[in-house]
Amino acid sequence: MSAAMRNPAAKPEAAQGPVVAVRDLRAWYRLRLFGVDREVKAVDGITFEVRKDEIYGLAGESSSGKSTLVKTIAGAMRPPLEIVGGEIQFSFMDGTMGLNRAPADLVERVRWRHLSYVMQGSMSVLNPVRRIGTSFFDFAFRHMGLDNAGFEAAVVAHLARVNLPASVLKAYPHELSGGMRQRVTIALATICRPQFIIADEPTTALDVVVQKDVLAMFRSIQREMASSVLFVTHDMGVHAHLTDRLGIMYAGRLVEEARTPDVFARPRHPYTRHLIHSLPRIGDDRPRIGLEGTPPSLANPPSGCRFHPRCVFATERCRVEVPPMEQVAPDHRVACFEKDRVEATP
Amino acid sequence: MTGALLELDSVSKTFTRGGLFSRTQVEAVIDVSFRLEMAKPEIFSIIGESGSGKSTLARIILALQAPTRGTARFKGRDLAGLRDGADRHAFMAAVQPVFQNPFEAFNPLKRLDRYLYATCRRFAGAKDEAAMQAGADKALRQVGLSLAEVKGRYPHELSGGQLQRVAIARALASGPSLLIADEPVSMVDASLRASIVNLFRKLRDELGLSIIYITHDLATAYSISDRIIIMQKGRVVESGDARTILADPKHPYSKTLKESVLEPLAPGERPLFAR
Repeated sequence: MSAAMRNPAAKPEAAQGPVVAVRDLRAWYRLRLFGVDREVKAVDGITFEVRKDEIYGLAGESSSGKSTLVKTIAGAMRPPLEIVGGEIQFSFMDGTMGLNRAPADLVERVRWRHLSYVMQGSMSVLNPVRRIGTSFFDFAFRHMGLDNAGFEAAVVAHLARVNLPASVLKAYPHELSGGMRQRVTIALATICRPQFIIADEPTTALDVVVQKDVLAMFRSIQREMASSVLFVTHDMGVHAHLTDRLGIMYAGRLVEEARTPDVFARPRHPYTRHLIHSLPRIGDDRPRIGLEGTPPSLANPPSGCRFHPRCVFATERCRVEVPPMEQVAPDHRVACFEKDRVEATP
Repeated sequence: MTGALLELDSVSKTFTRGGLFSRTQVEAVIDVSFRLEMAKPEIFSIIGESGSGKSTLARIILALQAPTRGTARFKGRDLAGLRDGADRHAFMAAVQPVFQNPFEAFNPLKRLDRYLYATCRRFAGAKDEAAMQAGADKALRQVGLSLAEVKGRYPHELSGGQLQRVAIARALASGPSLLIADEPVSMVDASLRASIVNLFRKLRDELGLSIIYITHDLATAYSISDRIIIMQKGRVVESGDARTILADPKHPYSKTLKESVLEPLAPGERPLFAR
């Protein structure tokens, strides 16, 4: 029996709270080879929350630590990756700190029932020698608590929601197109109506036309179930049209977070600003400027603000001190000492 | 110089699949014709989704595959007539590829400068160590790097953007007149993408290099191309001036393609999947 049922008064409050709250999370790769310690601080002090019924976007380039963050939240860590500090709290697991420290039987019950995952390569996710229907059985049957006939009816009804015919259950993954396979993985991830879905680059491998359909369908399913989604991609165009709030990662840290339209209209961090200004648009002939310098190494990141070597606004202070994440407007946080100058620059 | 640099005359490529009894034919490229002028270097984009035949077309232009019907000519020479030897060698020096994923294009255990030296020795007539180094340095400077930055480094030591620059420098080392770039920025980080795209423009203007830019990304194609062709299922459905076509596509497929591009929000614009 859940806490909410024992104490009905607590329920509205719980519904408004975040589904996932990440506080000052540090997840490092720690290597100890021949007496040499090497630490790669892939996630270094990240705080954010995903609210009920929203799509939270996470943007960042390769080696910014976004995949490590996702792995850590999903509890899919293997050495040398370990959580060094901070905590992850789920609304559907009271009191436990993240999936990595929860007892195994609880993890088994929670995974896929409350927390599911849409992965990038649909071809490598679906078992090539099992029919789609068998995969549904493997993933979802024990969580649904239905008999065989009821389960099959539920699966067919759910497939209709993602515009797939019931006949795909008899098909093998290779018989389906890339778009259909990605729909299958989305159907798999949503069939248990989980509160929280992690989507890691789910449409990157798809063509633009198919991508648009899949994203529209993903949004409608999310809305219907009022789930919360952590949506990771480096494609700013996808973020612009899909996500409600957007967090920008750079070198293992969150540098800016705001409602998505605000990120595009009023970026306050120099990196975000640059990222948005460098995106080409059809019908806009202004030249785009690429960012100078190279992405920092996470094994030996720059001192102070990690963006300072590539930043045109950098001052002496940025080289020494780490800028804290500060609230600058409702739902808008940014980690930059020069944020007012950035905003004032056209 | 006058005449055509590259001329494709109703080129088709058919692949045959299956055995004696169940033979199926896949038409990858159907009746494609276009012409790049020697006198007017340009960035020519081939746009299409996967399976539209754009990579097959690239392989035909690189003379890695012979067309089933039609002819492809480079500087007036039919590519089907290229035999191994001096002809092919000269063709390889003049037409160079840049691949999609720089992390896969380079052997992780081989130093990057080796690639540049080998290209200089084989295609640019560099006889000794000093000539190879001079050639490598010159090519790297054209892409905004220098030999000092790359010498002795392995692929994992460089970022994706730098590595793609090295790949372009390697292609430049032979002194080509045509580059075939197949999705050259799709694996490069967003913040570095603009600089690679700008580099292509600079190579066209300063070195007089023609570039065939193959992509499914309409936005970058718009920002750098002079002319484009849009392919669907092996056929060219629309071709001409890049700005005119992308501003107002006529063919239904081109329209769908343009409408499907998810662009960053302009102020006041409503997201497509807004609640």
